[in-house]
Amino acid sequence: MKKDEGKNIIICGLGGQGVVLLGKILTDFYDKEGYNLKISNVMGLGQRGGDVQCHLRYSTQAIMSPIIKYGDADYIISFEQSETLRNLHYLNDQGTIISSKFELSSPTVNIGIQKDIQGNKIEIMKDNAPHVYIIDTEKYVNSEINLSKVINVILLAFFARLMKYDDDKLLDALKRNVNAKYIKDNIKGYEFGKKIFKDYCKDVD
Amino acid sequence: MKVILTGNEAIARGAYEAGVRLTSGYPGTPVTGVMESTMKNYKDIYCEWSVNEKVALEVAIGSSFAGYRSLVVMKTVGLNVAHDALMAVAQSKINGGLVLVVADDVGRITDDHNDCRYFGDSAGIPILEPSNSDEAKDYTKLAFEISEQYSLPVIIRVTSVTCKTGSFVNINEYYEYKAITNKKYDCSSYAVLATTAMIGMKNCNDSRLLKYHNDFVGSLKELGKASNSMNINSIEMNSSEIGIITAGVTYCYTKEVMPNASILKLGIINPLPENLIKEFASKVKKIYVIEDGQNVLEKNIKSLGIDVIGEEIFPKFPYMTYFTPDIIEEKLSPETSIRKKPRNDVPFRLPMNCAGCSHTFIYHILQKNKIKASTDVTCGGLGAFPHINAFNNAKNMGSSISIAHGYNMVSEKEQKYVAVIGDGGFWATGINGLINLVYNAGNSAVIIVENSCIAMTGGQSLPSGEFGTNYNPKNRLDIADTCRALGVKNVKVVDPYEIDNLEKDILEAVDAHDISVVIVKKECLVKFKTQKLGVCNINYDKCIGCKSCLKVGCLALEYKSGKVLINKDLCVGCKLCMNICKKEAIEYEER
Repeated sequence: MKKDEGKNIIICGLGGQGVVLLGKILTDFYDKEGYNLKISNVMGLGQRGGDVQCHLRYSTQAIMSPIIKYGDADYIISFEQSETLRNLHYLNDQGTIISSKFELSSPTVNIGIQKDIQGNKIEIMKDNAPHVYIIDTEKYVNSEINLSKVINVILLAFFARLMKYDDDKLLDALKRNVNAKYIKDNIKGYEFGKKIFKDYCKDVD
Repeated sequence: MKVILTGNEAIARGAYEAGVRLTSGYPGTPVTGVMESTMKNYKDIYCEWSVNEKVALEVAIGSSFAGYRSLVVMKTVGLNVAHDALMAVAQSKINGGLVLVVADDVGRITDDHNDCRYFGDSAGIPILEPSNSDEAKDYTKLAFEISEQYSLPVIIRVTSVTCKTGSFVNINEYYEYKAITNKKYDCSSYAVLATTAMIGMKNCNDSRLLKYHNDFVGSLKELGKASNSMNINSIEMNSSEIGIITAGVTYCYTKEVMPNASILKLGIINPLPENLIKEFASKVKKIYVIEDGQNVLEKNIKSLGIDVIGEEIFPKFPYMTYFTPDIIEEKLSPETSIRKKPRNDVPFRLPMNCAGCSHTFIYHILQKNKIKASTDVTCGGLGAFPHINAFNNAKNMGSSISIAHGYNMVSEKEQKYVAVIGDGGFWATGINGLINLVYNAGNSAVIIVENSCIAMTGGQSLPSGEFGTNYNPKNRLDIADTCRALGVKNVKVVDPYEIDNLEKDILEAVDAHDISVVIVKKECLVKFKTQKLGVCNINYDKCIGCKSCLKVGCLALEYKSGKVLINKDLCVGCKLCMNICKKEAIEYEER
């Protein structure tokens, strides 16, 4: 197989969901793989409820801009449906979306000073991207861990399976970046993400 | 060795490799990480969160005067607070290098119109602007050399993007820390003193007088001449049709989308390398200036008599936008620009207090009792946003007490205006407002929301907290004791979750004829990872969908297809919504 020469990835979600941590783990992984990279965690507002975006670029070539251009992202990994749509214009025409099915309505919509997006958000994603994977953790019941708390590693595992990455290398990167207290739950979350991927493949078959 | 560091981490590393002895600062997004990285990784450096930016700069001035290299960290909003100290030190002789890391919050939606490069003009001091983490580290080291060589403080200008972007940095893995000292002067005074001492005395060349003299204007001019040959400024010649002058991270965007343009990259943006700019101008037909923030470079370059294009094609107001590769490409290279655009139907997410935050309780009491109030730009300021709208006046950090005082002194017939302030804002400058209130025999009511940390920027330490790098329980300052010591007779401390007591105490304070302080005490739920008590549920047999519970802006409450929902992961069981609901439709369940 030809060596992957690099990708642009948008990771997006809401403050407190673990967007930045997911970016950190992937950065560590690509660094160890020997790529050049830039990662930027800047847009949006950092408070709870604010949207968070992380631009991650890895490449065998030198990288100039830390910000991905519109239409230049290969992947969107998203923690929330509206956030997927907020970043849709970054995706290129061959791009892939991995989006959590989770939705949290904006407070401005709750009190009626703004309207929510009209239409089915998942259909909009499918109309705009050739590859869309929706991660629905609510289909699963897990008594050991709160799946919504480890959605970042579930998305990580799903992405890693899709890219056919070596799970052990990603788990090593995870262990280097996660607070010791939470490593156990995160590994369980990762395993769960692998299971979701397997089920996904079955459903598609 | 190559490692990935954010701009913030790279600056901390650069200061360490420069042999810095003291780092002081005040929290401010996006530059807080410089301090946090120093505290965590470089324990040889004495590091402190000072109570505000002015104090932080003065502390660094002291340590610099003692002969030690000193770094001070703040955002531009904070440099406004420290401007007086900056002007004074800018005119004074420098011993140990003095470097200010100042962040403009451009590159995010939060738009405060501040641009620290104006201080380069007003104070007459050098400014360096790195474009990535490796430069951030190198420029920090260079800044100390410039500061000592030219006897000037130096600003390193960073933005939200440079601060929070991770990229490779070459670090010296064999470096062994050694504090570098430089002590030439035992007299360092600013222009007011120096000129007063010298003007009018015919014998101003007497060594007793001459030691006051400092040609800070001449020093900056010297540096300006030298900057023409500094390697942090570089010309990259390509096409002679388009030339672009840029600095900082906009250089990276420009290189990406305009690979055929000629570029003059400026590492030092004050003073400008005039000859280099003129040389560049003579080689290209058309010059654009691309700079994050206001059009500072553009104006300064135009004043050299060079015709450049900036704001006319990149308008910055009503909001001070920041550059992205797309903005540059759309205007300068429309043929390669991709026409994808952001959707305009995705609702904006206003920042919110966390579910269960003390501040949301204050919003509720103010709204319920129609109390007029002022707040400042902290977690308590989030209630001024339109989805809550609990305040009539929201201004700069620490301002709410003085603003309420001024209002109340002239509006005797109205109900009293109440000041709401967090503990961070109180210690920063709000305490001066309280002293002033007592001193001038005011009558305002003050609500101090004590969450035991500077919460908005991620939970940094403060004088009334119980943690921190230099924390000693003996030195903890209690807010209630402090208010009493300042002469406030009516001081009450209340737990916001005891909502009836909270309401009673606030109403008493509003009705009192004298100054009253209500301290609303509950630690920050995020910083201290407080255990959740329980969870609230909606009984849909009773809920009539009136949406009154939504008005406090609780993050756990949603409204979807005609129904109010409670997000169980976010709800902490604070019962605020239960207290608001008139139909008793919200029920509490212990975890």
